[in-house]
Amino acid sequence: MKLSLSEDQSQILDFVDTLTKPFASVPMHDVSLALSSDALDAELVEGGFLDVMAEEELGPVTAALVVERLARLPFAVEAAASALVRHAVDPELPRPLCLVEEGRLRKPVRFLKEGATVLVVGASGVRSFTASAEMIRPAQEDTLYAYPVAFLTELPDALTSHDVEAAEILRCWRLALAAEASGLLAAALQSVVTYTSERKQFGRPLATFQGLRHRLAEDQVMTNSVYWLAMRAAGTGDQGDAALAALHAQEAAKRVCYDYHQFLGGMGMTLEHPLHLWTYRLKLLTAELGGRGAQALAAADALWE
Amino acid sequence: MEFDWTEDQQAFRQTIRDFLGANLPDDWENFSEHGPASPALTAFAREFCVKLAEAGLLFPHWPREMGGEGLGPWEQQILSEEMWIAGEPRGGQYMNVNWIGPTLERYGSDEQKARYLAPITRGESLWCQGFSEPDAGSDLASLRTRAVFTEGNYVINGQKIWTSYAGLADTCFLLTRTSDDRKKGITIFLVPMDTPGITVRQIPSLIGEGDIHEVFFDDVTVPESARFGDEGQAWEIIAYSLRNERLGIPRFVLARAALDRAVAMLKQAGDFGGEAVRIEAARCAALCEAAGTANYAVVQKRVDGLSIGAESSSARYATVMAERAVCEFVVEFVPEALAGAAPYLKMHHQRGIVAGVAAGSAEIQLNIIASEVLELPREPR
Ligand SMILES: Cc1cc2nc3c(=O)[nH]c(=O)nc-3n(C[C@H](O)[C@H](O)[C@H](O)COP(=O)(O)OP(=O)(O)OC[C@H]3O[C@@H](n4cnc5c(N)ncnc54)[C@H](O)[C@@H]3O)c2cc1C
Repeated sequence: MKLSLSEDQSQILDFVDTLTKPFASVPMHDVSLALSSDALDAELVEGGFLDVMAEEELGPVTAALVVERLARLPFAVEAAASALVRHAVDPELPRPLCLVEEGRLRKPVRFLKEGATVLVVGASGVRSFTASAEMIRPAQEDTLYAYPVAFLTELPDALTSHDVEAAEILRCWRLALAAEASGLLAAALQSVVTYTSERKQFGRPLATFQGLRHRLAEDQVMTNSVYWLAMRAAGTGDQGDAALAALHAQEAAKRVCYDYHQFLGGMGMTLEHPLHLWTYRLKLLTAELGGRGAQALAAADALWE
Repeated sequence: MEFDWTEDQQAFRQTIRDFLGANLPDDWENFSEHGPASPALTAFAREFCVKLAEAGLLFPHWPREMGGEGLGPWEQQILSEEMWIAGEPRGGQYMNVNWIGPTLERYGSDEQKARYLAPITRGESLWCQGFSEPDAGSDLASLRTRAVFTEGNYVINGQKIWTSYAGLADTCFLLTRTSDDRKKGITIFLVPMDTPGITVRQIPSLIGEGDIHEVFFDDVTVPESARFGDEGQAWEIIAYSLRNERLGIPRFVLARAALDRAVAMLKQAGDFGGEAVRIEAARCAALCEAAGTANYAVVQKRVDGLSIGAESSSARYATVMAERAVCEFVVEFVPEALAGAAPYLKMHHQRGIVAGVAAGSAEIQLNIIASEVLELPREPR
């Protein structure tokens, strides 16, 4: 057991922080529902940050660390699938990589755009195709999720089959979900801690009310434990660990999103505070892979069947 | 105890449904996604409420002396439920008939009644409620917008925030400070929104267009006759208003309707077979029905003429729990709803997420329950 970061890992996270500094705060008066940046995406690719999984001395834990760190940014970036799932399928797959559950075409697909690789996972195995314009239906303009999303209208007749078990890809997907959620949870918590420490009502900071303190403290416990479960799932490569990490991440997301918007009061309903950029991403993550119940059943299967 | 509606009540509900069926446009569901405060819905409501008034359905719960039908709290509840479940086609005018009208009747001067009641009863006016300020939200009594009496007029300076409908309202029901006494220094003014010195800025939000605003008052000068009640009487008047609006909006009916829609969509997609989704849906239904009965218990007290205390906070919090659960259910199982696939569910989401904040936050309701129902000793201040 060694739960501290290696020197390489610390260094990579420092690089990530330096590179993402210009993207670490919300542009003044940006009031859009979603926020993304092609420039950030390009820099991450160029720096090789989405490929650390392939480096032998770095591997999946480092990839999960990078994903966690990137998810804290107010800008949405397709990192989790590329960094943690792509390499298990085919490292050459063009990005962005969009993950789709077979038979669930009704759901919005994150980062879907023309030229994206769509990976369909399910009973028919693991298959992919390149999205073309006529397969894509844009989401409503004022979609609330703070990711770029769109709908797939159909699957093409021919998909490329990949020689990998669907179960293995589901494992990577759950890990990716948990690592990304972990960063989103951390950033959302930080923004709410700052707000409730500064805002005063009844002559004192909101954060001095014990009713809020205890909930925030519990939210910290959830956030912290999602981080560790995600890292463990990356480290062990175990099915059960991945399912537990995803389950815990979705449970945490459900709980903190409510709390955090509450604690901001009216401010939590605006687009002027960045909170929604993290919470509305978390909300969409709670819908992945069937939600908490499905993650719980997957975990039970992995642990006891 | 009797859990069924009487025949008269059922007939009343049917009358409202028939009216809605005849007067809402065919594409209403897409339309109602514009929030109740949006320009589109406000414009629609101006026509719709005139028709409601003509049909005797705008304020049937008002006493006959005020021109109403003298129907009771149950009928007011039924009217509110049917309107809210339909996406509130009255827009902001629901406030007029729920509490502004009765408050005007009770505390208004003859001039104020003559000026403001008639347009309300015709379904033609839109009000906004200028209570909250940047530094006075939960702690409303710390509000600072000042009204100073000079040369026969009041001059108002300060800022309000979160003011719903402010962008399109004709009149503001405004709380100001006229002296330093925390509660007894607060005074109400009825201020036409076109008075010089008022600036409105819309706040971009998660809950749709036109809902929340900042309102700035720079040397806004109003005559003494714009003062509502006496100087320092605001706190007493608001307490009376709240008695009329204790439960607020019957959110639980829309939450339940949204849940049923979500389940119907899942069934259609063949995705309502698994245990996890069924258990979660049933939990939501229990929370909706729990909120419903808690709300009805408060209505019963009104019917019986009893004073209403913290049980309204209990009902409000039960409603917040139901709203929260249904919002989360939809996101978890029907995420496409918020991206354009189900306008009714998105409409519900945008109205549901404010349940724990608007009109007094959930945590403040908990404090009231703790102090007044459980009679717990208070937190030291
Ligand atoms: C959609 C919407 C419409 C609105 N419309 C209007 C309107 O038309 N007119 C108007 O005047 N106002 C309006 N409001 C404002 C609303 O009344 C306030 O938002 C509400 O009173 C909370 O105040 P706040 O936003 O300042 O939050 P704060 O008071 O800053 O509260 C933030 C958080 O701290 C918690 N908190 C505060 N005090 C305590 C305490 N003592 N113990 C424990 N927790 C505490 C709160 O519960 C909340 O979770 C609207 C708000 C919304 C969201």
